[in-house]
Amino acid sequence: MKKTLLAAALMGASFSAHAVAPGGPGCGWGNLLFEGKSGLPMHILATTFNGTSGNATFGMTSGTNGCDTNGALTYSGESLLGMNGVMEEVAQDMAVGEGEALTALSVSIGVDASDRAHFNSIMHQNFASIFPSQDVTAAEVMQQINMVMSQDQQLAKYV
Amino acid sequence: MRTGVLCALAGLFLILSDTVAAAQSREHLAREPRWQALLHINPGATLRDRHRSYVDDDNFFLSDTGKDDPLAELNASIEALRPAQAPERCRFPARYRFFAEHLGWEESGGQESAPFAHCDEYMEWRQSVQANRAVLVFPAAYLNSPSSMFGHTLLRLDQTGDGTVWLSWAVNFGAMTSEQDNSLFYIYRGLAGGYPGRFTLVPYVQKIQEYSHMENRDIWEYDLTLNQEEIDWVIEHLWELKDINFDYYFFDENCSFRLLELVEVARPGTGLLDKWRFAELPVNTVRALDDKDLIEQRHYRPSKAQELEALVAEMTVAERRLSRRLADDPDLAQSAEFQAYPPPRQALMAQTAYRHVRFIHRKEERTEDVAKRSFALLGLMSRLPTATPPRVQPQRPPEEGHGTKMLGVSGGQWGADDYGQLTWRMTYHDLLDNRRGFLDGAQIEGLGVTLRSTESQAVKLERLDLVSIRSLSPRDTFSKPLSWYVEGGLERAWAQGRRLTRYVQGGAGLSWRWQGWQPYMLLSARAENNSAFSTWITPGGGAEAGLLYNTGAWQWQLSSAGHYFTNDEYRHRSRLSAHYALGRQHGLRASLEREGWRGDSDTGFNLEWRWYYD
Repeated sequence: MKKTLLAAALMGASFSAHAVAPGGPGCGWGNLLFEGKSGLPMHILATTFNGTSGNATFGMTSGTNGCDTNGALTYSGESLLGMNGVMEEVAQDMAVGEGEALTALSVSIGVDASDRAHFNSIMHQNFASIFPSQDVTAAEVMQQINMVMSQDQQLAKYV
Repeated sequence: MRTGVLCALAGLFLILSDTVAAAQSREHLAREPRWQALLHINPGATLRDRHRSYVDDDNFFLSDTGKDDPLAELNASIEALRPAQAPERCRFPARYRFFAEHLGWEESGGQESAPFAHCDEYMEWRQSVQANRAVLVFPAAYLNSPSSMFGHTLLRLDQTGDGTVWLSWAVNFGAMTSEQDNSLFYIYRGLAGGYPGRFTLVPYVQKIQEYSHMENRDIWEYDLTLNQEEIDWVIEHLWELKDINFDYYFFDENCSFRLLELVEVARPGTGLLDKWRFAELPVNTVRALDDKDLIEQRHYRPSKAQELEALVAEMTVAERRLSRRLADDPDLAQSAEFQAYPPPRQALMAQTAYRHVRFIHRKEERTEDVAKRSFALLGLMSRLPTATPPRVQPQRPPEEGHGTKMLGVSGGQWGADDYGQLTWRMTYHDLLDNRRGFLDGAQIEGLGVTLRSTESQAVKLERLDLVSIRSLSPRDTFSKPLSWYVEGGLERAWAQGRRLTRYVQGGAGLSWRWQGWQPYMLLSARAENNSAFSTWITPGGGAEAGLLYNTGAWQWQLSSAGHYFTNDEYRHRSRLSAHYALGRQHGLRASLEREGWRGDSDTGFNLEWRWYYD
């Protein structure tokens, strides 16, 4: 259970109350693959003092300032847009067939170290069904991953 | 009767001596390094708040005089934390642990009466923040962002032995800024302590996104030798710092400095803060930890740009061009030209094209076109064989670079005058200094003074550099950055005689790199104030061209710059310099310079010995 949650969090999946429609207000959990980050001038200054805007986040249970609607300074405070970036990384690693994001995903799903190479290659082979379009949401991606795993003899036990 | 009195007296005495002993032991306890560390008492490392707590937040203290008086805070804390179920325990778990260890506090009973059983929020948090390894993380400087040039440090807490740091926590200390603030105000407040600084705890993967992806910074990761118990101290103390404000000062009480305090909590008495630490540079934090044997291993995490460069280096020129075109038009994958390559080469080109698209659009809002191309390239990659990206060869780590301060002694001749000269620079690196551990093409200097004495004249100020930043980023098939520079201060230049002028100057242009050679061309503008020009500020425009070359311990630079001013004055300056690095902390530099103006010119040479320290 915990591992699924972690995986969901990592994928930025829309299982939580924060879920919003694509392009809608809020934190943008999940969808919008290939999104850049805005707020460049502010960003340069923020770098100087390693600044954080808004509330300080402090791990999982506290300081959840939720979704910043303006999204101008996405880092340090908000995990959410950052998590979107993770989905993009996962997509890239799946297309390549390996990588740190894919490893992190398999660890959070609970795939044993001995099955990881197999996991990577199954994900690589099924890239097209896991990422059917550029507008896919993280929830859909997660669902597809589970589907692909459940159809694989070696990976079915992790679903 | 008598014995009774005696007994009573003895008893009284015992009680008294107990109280005295207790008082003494409390005084002793308040001086314990860990108690001092838990309260963030300044042992004398910086000027502000000497022997007081760095914390600027009433919520952190249980005693009214807690900021100034560790003993008062100790007494108040003992009183507040001793009762079972005390709500204060939920805020100060590390303090509780300190007392439990030193005063032998024990909870009787089972699970129900565990010291923090009543602290739901804390228990839940503590459950999610587990770590068995602490790592100092140093996102190094990157070109084209002066604000990053000193680097940054944060702490990473690894909660898995599984080799994936994407699931680790990052402990970051930074200023809490408001987006409403405008730029100048922001800088002023950042320098002057106008922003509160706070610790935050975020998933490390966000930091990777931020530094290695967004900002294009290489990241150095240093495993610390802290053991499980020491790490637990840090985690428990972090909870005590939740939503607690420190003033943030750019120069000393910054991200790096605060991390040293955390290490001090983990392992008191390391002496990390004994030395005066003004202008704490992140690289010196790494060195300080290394000196105290707190670092056991180092890892290099290349930026996205470095990874892209490594991919490009794998390809032939024809492949590079095709890959670059593929980035603009993924349909080229169907072309006979692309299909003619074997699949592994196709995979390499596809991956490079994809990474290029992602890299150049990393700071932009999503557009349908970019998303479509990105997705098409991903699909192409997924249909090709796995292409393991080449390993990026790590540069030399920043802590192996030369010292941050510099003292130079030189002699030479200018015109007909022989002179001796002394230069001191507070920080940090110029294009000719030993490049080991530094970025090629990056220069950042702050506060440099040069005094010159000639045979005929007493010591005079030759130049005062307030700031000088140069960023010469090379262009290639995939990346087309601008190079630029900005500098300002006082220097001696020709204006109806050689005189001190105040100036600011900046420019932008292009640069390329081929093996050790790096040519550059810049257009520039200059504003000058001196006693000979009739207007208060005289603007001018001009250009600069130059060539850098490095090989082994040698670094060469040939440069020529000219400016034409609105009062019809003209001035140009050409220089050939060679720097030879003598080990890490010394260098010999020779330069030949010619300055010309309408109708005349002067020539000089200079030979300098440079010593880097701190």
